[in-house]
Amino acid sequence: MAGRMFRFIGLLLTSSWLVACIPGRDYEPRIIGGDPDQGREALARYECGVCHVIPGVPDAIGKTGPALDNYSRRSYVAGKFPNEPEVLVRWIADAPAMAPQTAMPAIAMSDKEARDMAAYLYESD
Amino acid sequence: MRTGIAHRHKALFMTIGAVALVLIGAGAGAVILLSGAYSTAATKQHFGITYRILEQGLRFSVARYADKIVVPDLDRVANVKVGYACYRQYCQQCHGAPGVARDPLGRGQLPSPSSLSESARDWPEAHLFYVTAKGVRMSGMPAWEFRISTDGLWSTVAYLKAMPFLTKEEHRKLDTSATAESCPAPTTAPSYSRETTQVMFRQYACDNCHIIGGMVGPKTHIGPSLEKWRERRYIAGVLPNTHDNLVRWIVAPQEISAHTMMPDLDVIEPHAQHMARYLMTMDE
Amino acid sequence: MESSHSASVLHPASDSGAALIDQLGTALYVGGAIIFVVVMALAIYGVFAKARAINARGWILGGGLAFPIVTLTVLLMYSLAVGNGLNAIGSSNALQLFLECFGIGDARERTPADGLLRVHVVGKQWWWEVRYEQPGRQEVILANEIRMPTDRAVELVLSTTDVIHSFWAPSLAGKVDMIPGRTTRLRLQTSEEGTFRALCAEYCGGQHALMALYVVTQETTDFDAWLASQARPANEPTDPFLKTGYDAFFRGECHECHTIRGTPAEGTSGPDLTHVGSRKSLAAGTLNNHIGTMAGWIAGAQDVKPGNKMPSSLAYSGVELRALSAWLGSLE
Repeated sequence: MAGRMFRFIGLLLTSSWLVACIPGRDYEPRIIGGDPDQGREALARYECGVCHVIPGVPDAIGKTGPALDNYSRRSYVAGKFPNEPEVLVRWIADAPAMAPQTAMPAIAMSDKEARDMAAYLYESD
Repeated sequence: MRTGIAHRHKALFMTIGAVALVLIGAGAGAVILLSGAYSTAATKQHFGITYRILEQGLRFSVARYADKIVVPDLDRVANVKVGYACYRQYCQQCHGAPGVARDPLGRGQLPSPSSLSESARDWPEAHLFYVTAKGVRMSGMPAWEFRISTDGLWSTVAYLKAMPFLTKEEHRKLDTSATAESCPAPTTAPSYSRETTQVMFRQYACDNCHIIGGMVGPKTHIGPSLEKWRERRYIAGVLPNTHDNLVRWIVAPQEISAHTMMPDLDVIEPHAQHMARYLMTMDE
Repeated sequence: MESSHSASVLHPASDSGAALIDQLGTALYVGGAIIFVVVMALAIYGVFAKARAINARGWILGGGLAFPIVTLTVLLMYSLAVGNGLNAIGSSNALQLFLECFGIGDARERTPADGLLRVHVVGKQWWWEVRYEQPGRQEVILANEIRMPTDRAVELVLSTTDVIHSFWAPSLAGKVDMIPGRTTRLRLQTSEEGTFRALCAEYCGGQHALMALYVVTQETTDFDAWLASQARPANEPTDPFLKTGYDAFFRGECHECHTIRGTPAEGTSGPDLTHVGSRKSLAAGTLNNHIGTMAGWIAGAQDVKPGNKMPSSLAYSGVELRALSAWLGSLE
């Protein structure tokens, strides 16, 4: 919040040339072929919120898994793999295949659904 | 009557003037900050006056806080060989040693790490101990009390006091005779308090990757946020979140999870106990 | 939960008690509306008509006496018959049901020996134990789901082991309370295949809102096959991953509260899990039933439904949690 305020003030003053311009994020992961709205709907339908806090998804208050806020800013998927779009999609669809020790089960879903969910997670912060 | 009014007006003008000065100062500060004019490059030396103020400020501050430190009988608790082992392992990269250059790491910093043959002559033992144990804020000097046992720190001090008077030959001998020595890590932790545990989190750099409840630190998204940790059911999605499991995890995450990016930070078990306790109770 | 499951008094299942209630409601609303309009018309007529033109005695006898007596008598019979029809298992025509109210006609109570399907539903904070009476055999016990055939009525025998609950499947029948120390009865019937949501309709504590179940109606042959499969004990796992889950179940504390027939798990304070994988929902209509929700429920039961008697388990590693969820899911 404070960061946003600073940036806003910065933006105001930048226009008066008194202030240096701070660039936005250099890398922002985006899902190709994923629909965030459908992703949100799929996250709700599969009740991912039983284990995760997911901003904007109703009843998503679970504490078994980590909160899924600010996902596009995260360095790692599940603290394990570089946070890149295709990695996240694979993780959502079949986490145990990537990390056999994980508590997150593979839930039967289509690739499109996993893609939509990842798109929502990246869009929602 | 008239003088009274004039008096009151005078007070008013002075107040307005003072407020205006503060505002102008804050405005100027904001412009310097936001314009990016202040250089953070390590190649840009402070103004002379700033440099002197910082240098003297360090001496005053150390003198004040080190005052409470009781110097033990160094002949009894300290071992120069052990002290040298610590120095060789942790200090020499930045500070160098007689006839030994510091590593590139120690050459490019601002403020530049002191060459200790001078400080060690001038500074009393308690001051050297304090600076070594607690580090120096806003410089590259870390606090070593979480890496080196108290006896090890006193040994280091003993070595520092001896160092300026060693010939190159004597120093080489010490180096040879101390080959098998290693620097002792602490084996105990101070009694639990939130404040000391927060220092531990910083000393192991936990807050560089995790947002930790109750602490000031970078707003980072590298590891998961540890706010409201005790509500969490799993550690790294692998271990049930109990106190004992959390201690195990903090000490050796790489042994527990093959895939985790969290490194083993050589956290000693007593420190991990405090950290786990902190995380499991901080929201109460 | 899936929203396609009907749970509305305005959308009753065909040939169900709810349909009778719906008809009764429609009759009352339409009849009431007609009477209202007629009375208003008469009031206006009374204001504007010449006094001599009105046959006062005729109106009093006809409109004030004969009409209410006839109408109310018909309505009373109709509503008594509907009321009886909702509770009694037997005839379904209104006149016979009405006569049965006074003990005339074939009011003999049917028993499971005559082919009556009797299901005991026990309300608990906050779930439902469901027991199918099996004449001459052991009851089939399950939880949070009732299945019934579309060709006959089911008698629910309702009771509670703690506080007052109320069983309400809005699309199938009216509400009937479950009262400590008593048993109450409810007749469920429909010719429609489908899944209908039922819920507790009497505030029963913190998680009252998450106390629901599904009534699944299916063709008789499907139903019989289902009941036969529910009667069977659980299979021992052969797959090594599922075996890990099986072992985890017994290493942890699950078996202290849950029964899985065919295994040493004989706890009785929680729902019977012998065929939990076949159920529509977990945690009494709270969650869809798949491996993810199963894992989330086991690890975070107190997050999903705070205050319920199932603890959030801290006994399992990540792999064990997944294996346990997979094994329970395989119990179909």
